[in-house]
Amino acid sequence: MGRTLPSSTQNFLQEQASFARFRRALRRSDQVALDDLFASARQHLAAAAYAANALPFETFLLAMLLEEHKQVMRLRQLVEADLHITPGDG
Amino acid sequence: MAELTGWLLDVYAGEQGLTIWLLTDNGERRCLSQTFPVTFFAASQAVRQGLDKLDLPAHGSTSDLRAAWRWLSSQSEPLRLARAERRDLFAGPIPVLSIEVQQPAHLPGLFRRFSAAFPNLTFYDADLPISLRYGAVFGVFPLCRCCVEVQGNQVKTILALDSPWDLDPEYPPLRLLALEPDCNPSHAVPKGIIFSYKDIRYRMPLEPVRALLANLKSILRTYDPDMLLTSWGDTWLLPKLLELSQANPLPLNRDPSALITRKEQRTYYAYGQVIYRGAQVHLAGRWHIDKYNAVMYHDYGLDGIFELARVTGLPVQTVARVSPGTGISSMQIMTALRQGVLVPWRKQQAEAPKNLFELVRADMGGLVYQPTIGLHSNVAEVDFVSMYPSIMSHFNISPETILPGENDPQTGLPLTRPERGLVPTTLQPLLQKRIAIKSQLLCLPKWDPRRKRYQATASAYKWLLVTCFGYLGYKNARFGRIESHEAVTAYGRETLLRAKEAAEDLGFEVLHLYVDGMWIKKPAFATPADFQPLLNEILTRTGLPIALDGVYRWVAFLPSRLDARIPVANRYFGVFQSGEIKVRGIELRRRDTPDFIRETQQQMLNILAKAPDAEHVPNLLPEVQALVHRRLADLKRGRVPPEKLIVRQTLSRELDAYRSPSPAALAARQLADRAAPLRPGQVVRFLYTLGKPGVRAWDLPGEMDCRTIDVARYSTLLERAAETIFQPFMSEPVETKLPLLSGLYMPNKTSLLQEQAAVNWISGTA
Repeated sequence: MGRTLPSSTQNFLQEQASFARFRRALRRSDQVALDDLFASARQHLAAAAYAANALPFETFLLAMLLEEHKQVMRLRQLVEADLHITPGDG
Repeated sequence: MAELTGWLLDVYAGEQGLTIWLLTDNGERRCLSQTFPVTFFAASQAVRQGLDKLDLPAHGSTSDLRAAWRWLSSQSEPLRLARAERRDLFAGPIPVLSIEVQQPAHLPGLFRRFSAAFPNLTFYDADLPISLRYGAVFGVFPLCRCCVEVQGNQVKTILALDSPWDLDPEYPPLRLLALEPDCNPSHAVPKGIIFSYKDIRYRMPLEPVRALLANLKSILRTYDPDMLLTSWGDTWLLPKLLELSQANPLPLNRDPSALITRKEQRTYYAYGQVIYRGAQVHLAGRWHIDKYNAVMYHDYGLDGIFELARVTGLPVQTVARVSPGTGISSMQIMTALRQGVLVPWRKQQAEAPKNLFELVRADMGGLVYQPTIGLHSNVAEVDFVSMYPSIMSHFNISPETILPGENDPQTGLPLTRPERGLVPTTLQPLLQKRIAIKSQLLCLPKWDPRRKRYQATASAYKWLLVTCFGYLGYKNARFGRIESHEAVTAYGRETLLRAKEAAEDLGFEVLHLYVDGMWIKKPAFATPADFQPLLNEILTRTGLPIALDGVYRWVAFLPSRLDARIPVANRYFGVFQSGEIKVRGIELRRRDTPDFIRETQQQMLNILAKAPDAEHVPNLLPEVQALVHRRLADLKRGRVPPEKLIVRQTLSRELDAYRSPSPAALAARQLADRAAPLRPGQVVRFLYTLGKPGVRAWDLPGEMDCRTIDVARYSTLLERAAETIFQPFMSEPVETKLPLLSGLYMPNKTSLLQEQAAVNWISGTA
């Protein structure tokens, strides 16, 4: 029943812990942003586990990028909608 | 020669052959016997591994078998030795030494000496329960209806008249005597014993002992019960009675020639928990079942135990006390015996070597998503029906059918041999009967007397099926092999992903995936019929049956307590359209939550469940908040009875092994100077109190001063439980909601709520 390898969540926590020194040396405001990045990667642990990549951190980076890109897309939509409406209003 | 018809109650090794208890149709309890030689086998390890053709050192080789033959010939037990060929599940037909023991009672002792003298041999069929051997030969099982031909008391033939897979078997009219002490012996010293038989019920003091024993003897003689159903009979009552009656033994056994079997208490670790099993007392000729030492008694009761005895072939007294894992193993042993497959004494199938990449791919569990945090309305929960057992059966996954390292090039899924495997063969009828019972339950009216038994059966089967998967990978399982365990999870992940893809192709939003279940929604989809096309599509794509568990009016997936941005897989609550509430992972589900907190949280949910849909839930929040304020006030004014504040926790280790003692350990220490100190796996009950050590064991003798209860601590627990319920409804702008709850929330919660709002904004759910 027991597993031989660490689970995806364990991998994630280890990777996060390994950046503790990096995080400590960041400004408080940057620390918050970094925590957000890790939290966003954590939403994709199931997919990371399924991917079973030998270097899990690659998958976590991609997951962060994915959440970043979702935000970019959402902001772009907002801006485009805004630009579209403004001329009509004016 | 006479013919008897009735129910088979018990089979065990007697002084001569087997002792068989039959309850006949005219109400007689007949003790019969039957000659029944039993056979076990020995093989050389080299032969089993196909290494006999290599030049190997002498040990574990065929010369060992010749020495074994000589050794066995010199033993006092009557034996019949022969060379034979039998089928090993993995290695195929192998030459073995067959050892037929004329008296089944001789086998355990002989085998103990034999295996110690020849440790290098491989043994088969050496430690099988006699009831399984008997069942494999004659097709009978405990509690079956059978027809027996007897000469005097000797059984000549026996024939089963029903099958374990019958939905409504005819049960024997058993005489049941209930015995219990007048209090829980691990909490206080009992003063008397309460007897009940049908409508008769009376209490007798423990002192004077002579009167007690005389009465008990006459009760046993008069009623001659088939079963003693006791409370704490294994751990206290029967050992106590045996101790008191040493000089003048009680007729507890119905079979005077047999001994009472006693087993030691033990503690072990399974499924991430420390489990305690009390000592056991087994009787001969009648059954003894201790309600508090029977596994899952609270779940499926006597009905479940009888049903398990019928399908596993284990004696009633045994099956009541063993884990479902032992039950499913017994069924596999029965399949093996019937198919003429050798049952290894110890498991031998080691994991095949894998490279790192293969290991990374294979060593994975079920697919568990992080749900989309927050409140959702009109969500359907669909679950695969007994997913893992269905996979084993549908894809023929069994330890011997797996081809290690061979995967389907297209799907990457493990390949299996075409011959039907041992595990799927065992599972198939169990799965079918469970599905048949579940569908019966759906159409039976609420008052139908069969409901209770069907529910018990479904529940007992559920545990057999669940552990069947675990045992595929369990290191001590006789028919286990890690590759087959991994294959099941691989198919499980594939199945769930195909279901997800089907849902997305049909335009559903997938909120959560959890091993065998899926939570989905789609605008304007709210009735069960709306989801039927999806269920059909999933069945087509996966080949496995899937069912709609229900449509939630609303469901809330909760975030982690530590970080509101992080979703937790199994922490949610919601209300189905039927009004039924489903909760997972919150306080009221935890076993250590005091009743006061659990009841309050349940009442909060009951209020919210009145809302017809998600939009109306916020209107009910003031009512919920008022309830919480009332309950907090009750607590502060001492209006909550102390027994509602009891915390129950399981001890995880020996008391000396705690480095910084938990509250449970501190409470257990207060009880440590009693006669029977608590063991790991046992539950300790305590209250939080003011001052050192902060707890008071509930079972300490003497009156408790209610003024010492740590009200602040219980208030915090209550506030936390309330917060869990309020949390999903707080994602709107913080200012508008806070005044409503200002009395309840501590200032530092604001930051958490702002964070939640920010997360919702980022994830687009705001």
